[in-house]
Amino acid sequence: MSEATTQNKEYSVIGRSFPKVDARDKATGRARYTGDIKVPNMLYGKILRSPHAHARILKIDTSMAEALPGVKAVITAKDVPSTMYGISPARYDETIFAIEKVLYVGDKVAAVAAVDDETATKALSLIDVEYEVLPPVLDPLRAMDDDQPQLHPQYPRNISVEIHQNFGDVDKALAEAYHVRTDTFSGTRTSHVPMEPHAAISKWEDGKLTISCSTQSPHYFQYHIARVFGLKMGDVRVMKTFVGGGFGGKLEASGAEYVSAALAMKTGRPVKIVFDRWEVFTHHRGRHPQHITLTTGVTKEGKIVGCHARFIIDGGAYTSLGIASAYYAGAMIPLIYMFDDYRFDGFRVHTNLPSCGAQRGHGAPQPRFAFESQLDMIAKDLGMDPIEIRRLNARKPNTMTPNEFQVNSCAFTEALDKARNISGWDEKKGKLSSDKGIGIGCGGFISGNGYAIYRTRLPHSGAVIKVSEQGDIATLYTGAVDIGQGSDTVLAQMAAEAIGINYEDIKLVTADTETTPHDFGAYASRQTLMSGWAVKQAGEEIRKQVLELAAEMLEANVEDVDIDRRVIYVKGSPDKVLPFERVANEFFIMRGPLVGRGKYAPPKLGGKFKGAPVGTSPAYSFAAQVSQVEVDEETGQVMVTDVWDVHDCGQVINPMLLHAQVEGALFMGMGEAMYEAMVFDANGKPLNANLGEYRIPTALDVPHVVSDLVDSYEPAGPFGVKEVGEGATLPTMGSYANAIYDAIGVRIYDMPLTPEKVWRAIQERKRM
Amino acid sequence: MIVPQFEYLVPQSLQEACALLGQHGSKAKVLSGGSDLIVKMKNGLAKPDYLVSLKNLDELKGVRYEAGTGVIIGSRTTHNQVIANPILREKYPSVCAAAATMAAYQIRNIGTIGGNLVNAVPSADMPPILIALGAQARIVGTAGERVVRVEDFFLGPGRTVLGQDEILAELVIPDQATTGSNYVKFGLRRAGALAVVGVASSVTMAGDVAKDVRIILGAVAPIPMVAREAENVLRGKKVSDDLIQHAGKVAAVESKPINDIRGSAEYRRNLVDVLTRRSLKAAIEKGHV
Repeated sequence: MSEATTQNKEYSVIGRSFPKVDARDKATGRARYTGDIKVPNMLYGKILRSPHAHARILKIDTSMAEALPGVKAVITAKDVPSTMYGISPARYDETIFAIEKVLYVGDKVAAVAAVDDETATKALSLIDVEYEVLPPVLDPLRAMDDDQPQLHPQYPRNISVEIHQNFGDVDKALAEAYHVRTDTFSGTRTSHVPMEPHAAISKWEDGKLTISCSTQSPHYFQYHIARVFGLKMGDVRVMKTFVGGGFGGKLEASGAEYVSAALAMKTGRPVKIVFDRWEVFTHHRGRHPQHITLTTGVTKEGKIVGCHARFIIDGGAYTSLGIASAYYAGAMIPLIYMFDDYRFDGFRVHTNLPSCGAQRGHGAPQPRFAFESQLDMIAKDLGMDPIEIRRLNARKPNTMTPNEFQVNSCAFTEALDKARNISGWDEKKGKLSSDKGIGIGCGGFISGNGYAIYRTRLPHSGAVIKVSEQGDIATLYTGAVDIGQGSDTVLAQMAAEAIGINYEDIKLVTADTETTPHDFGAYASRQTLMSGWAVKQAGEEIRKQVLELAAEMLEANVEDVDIDRRVIYVKGSPDKVLPFERVANEFFIMRGPLVGRGKYAPPKLGGKFKGAPVGTSPAYSFAAQVSQVEVDEETGQVMVTDVWDVHDCGQVINPMLLHAQVEGALFMGMGEAMYEAMVFDANGKPLNANLGEYRIPTALDVPHVVSDLVDSYEPAGPFGVKEVGEGATLPTMGSYANAIYDAIGVRIYDMPLTPEKVWRAIQERKRM
Repeated sequence: MIVPQFEYLVPQSLQEACALLGQHGSKAKVLSGGSDLIVKMKNGLAKPDYLVSLKNLDELKGVRYEAGTGVIIGSRTTHNQVIANPILREKYPSVCAAAATMAAYQIRNIGTIGGNLVNAVPSADMPPILIALGAQARIVGTAGERVVRVEDFFLGPGRTVLGQDEILAELVIPDQATTGSNYVKFGLRRAGALAVVGVASSVTMAGDVAKDVRIILGAVAPIPMVAREAENVLRGKKVSDDLIQHAGKVAAVESKPINDIRGSAEYRRNLVDVLTRRSLKAAIEKGHV
């Protein structure tokens, strides 16, 4: 694995692989996750969930559960606010407990709080619910039909969102194209599978609600929980504990918080709720299965002239973040290749299945699989090399997409060339033995979202840094949320760099709505860029104050004074130096606390058409991924032996963490490509809501990965940074599908690429 | 996930264990590694009032060789102990290899070979290879001891010949006339995956002639299945690629797979064909002794 090639030698702290700030805590087990925490007088909460995919609740009898010794509260919809919540403001459609109908197997019906887990579990079995079972909607392709049952009265024909975006003249472009293809692809309902389940502990004291939880966004939790319970935001404090993975699934409050809060209010005691694995799967909010039809036209030379993308997207029972997911599906298609004429028609529909939401790459990975597959098919039709057709169409820097995303830095062509080079593409393509193949897939992603999820004028990130009175350390207060990806470490490096002190000098207070400045949290690959700007600004404010005082103390002009790793010096006068701590200490004595403040709000981005904000970002990453596979033609089993990923992610802050993000994203993409799909029986009951039958790749399954970079600097990012955490998920499915085609000449149109599916395709090929 | 309430009994001898099982009847279950039972209990699929732990019965642990009898494997021997055992590694590496296909390292540290048989899951990895080697099960009950062939041990999914007061004590792999054996598993992931199909075979070669052949199929019938017709294709014949091909086809036809979330019956038949050929080839070419 190569070190960052973009490392700028001028920097002292960024660009270096410092160990994570919490590495020791996690390696030794000292890190306490929500589930590990016990507080005095704490009760254990459990949620009773629907066994039916679609049913009317006729009667709930809680008397037997209430009579069980050790049970402190049993609550149903009548005990809690009926305010609808969600995370897409246009579609709040969930309540704490189902009021009239349950809409999926796992929907929340009632809850108990008891002195221990065992009693709470037993109490659940004593709640008697009478249901009238209704026919469920299970097939997204039929959900809009007139004969289908309706899930929500406010969404006729089960349409959650309908999208029509049209840029340029696609019909004309396709009519004039030399070659046009229409192909249909589909993806599956994959889930985030964080190792740590969703969990929350709520305390209700003197009219104030305090929730410690596993979250990607204390801010959104605070906002929605305050709204639902009718509390001032200031009376709701949300604190993140250590988080064992989020991947999009912990961006919205899951019910663990709402229900534990309601139980805490009712009992006056702290209440903890930890989901079990079945609950994590059925709560879901992960990938939407998409049915994607692409019609794409090219010139004789292979230049893309237009594309029409049509989607039917299975949203499951509730909206969750699905409006954004549906817009992302189409919005990200024209990002990485340059063409002007683009149309996107989409329907997100409701089914009586687990609700879909945001998952690493959001709505973009499945459409990207479709596009990358079709582009290879077009290249074959034209007799072109797959990398050549991508180079020909690759986006250039300082251009705008047809849907008005401004792209500044873009080293996509360089990434393609490097991927070709390090994978040995030219020596391998078409020259490997008959069971081996090589394929390419590409991707691009946002570096933070241009707009918050709800309408607000709040900046997206804030930061405060306070230097200690002795000047020995500096504490960074940030609302940014480390969920394992390493944002605390990266932001500490940026803070140290901006001030001019060492990484080890930075202490952190993070992700607590009461003690840290506002930040929207860990989603949309936003924190390195957005929280990073706020931190950099705060650090520079300290640097400026320190250097001004130092100039006085050194009797020098302020513009001649500088700082590097705690040493303040006068340029050109090597004997005139002061240690940082002396100046900082003097600052406190003379002027009071040494504090720096920063905030970041993105500039106004995007067009004026409906849905224009989704996909806007200050900066975009690009990636090219080459995969090599071996296929066992007799069983259909595919072994991915090698993957070469080349990412254009701007300036690197911590190379070790960056490559870890690439690997993690790639392996998640691999899971979606090869193994993962939630499956249900004919009544909508999940058949594999466990880690045995929902298979994610293990260490034995993953390929050898080479993660490499291209030189890149993003003017819209602090120090030149952009995205990495999600982008490497995007190319993988297409890259694998294309490699399989190269190996054995079969094209798989639907995910995942299971052995049986590959074997069936081989049988089909043999019959033809 | 909460394990329901139960009473935990820790007998100090095999006889005491059998007596406890007899006393509590169907309300009691034997706890060995617990890698299957405890999961079932957490999921509400088993609700025993009593768990009879074998943890203090050291006589059920370990592997030894007795001349004239064969290799004796205690039922409480963990999968990882099977994998690492020098006697098995020398005499029957195919048994070690079969154990190594199971679950994940941590689970192999807990799960036992006896448990793998007694649970009687159709996809279990140890029964096919043990049957292929003609292994026998030593069963101890309150009335004494009896021996049955592993081939005859299973009655259906989750059902075995064990009586209410009986415990599987040991497995005996008799000295072999066979010259090679092998287990090939097809799972949907390289670790932590149940067999979609598993095929074990053993052959007794005399020059080019297969004097005897055993082919045992896992996960394609309610119990581990002997592919008798496929065995007959090769038995007593001069081995050739064509004949092995044919045996694979015959095994596929006689297998009785079902459709489930891990694979269709049609695909499983194909896997039986492919895996039977591969297992036979390896057993013929590589041997086990």
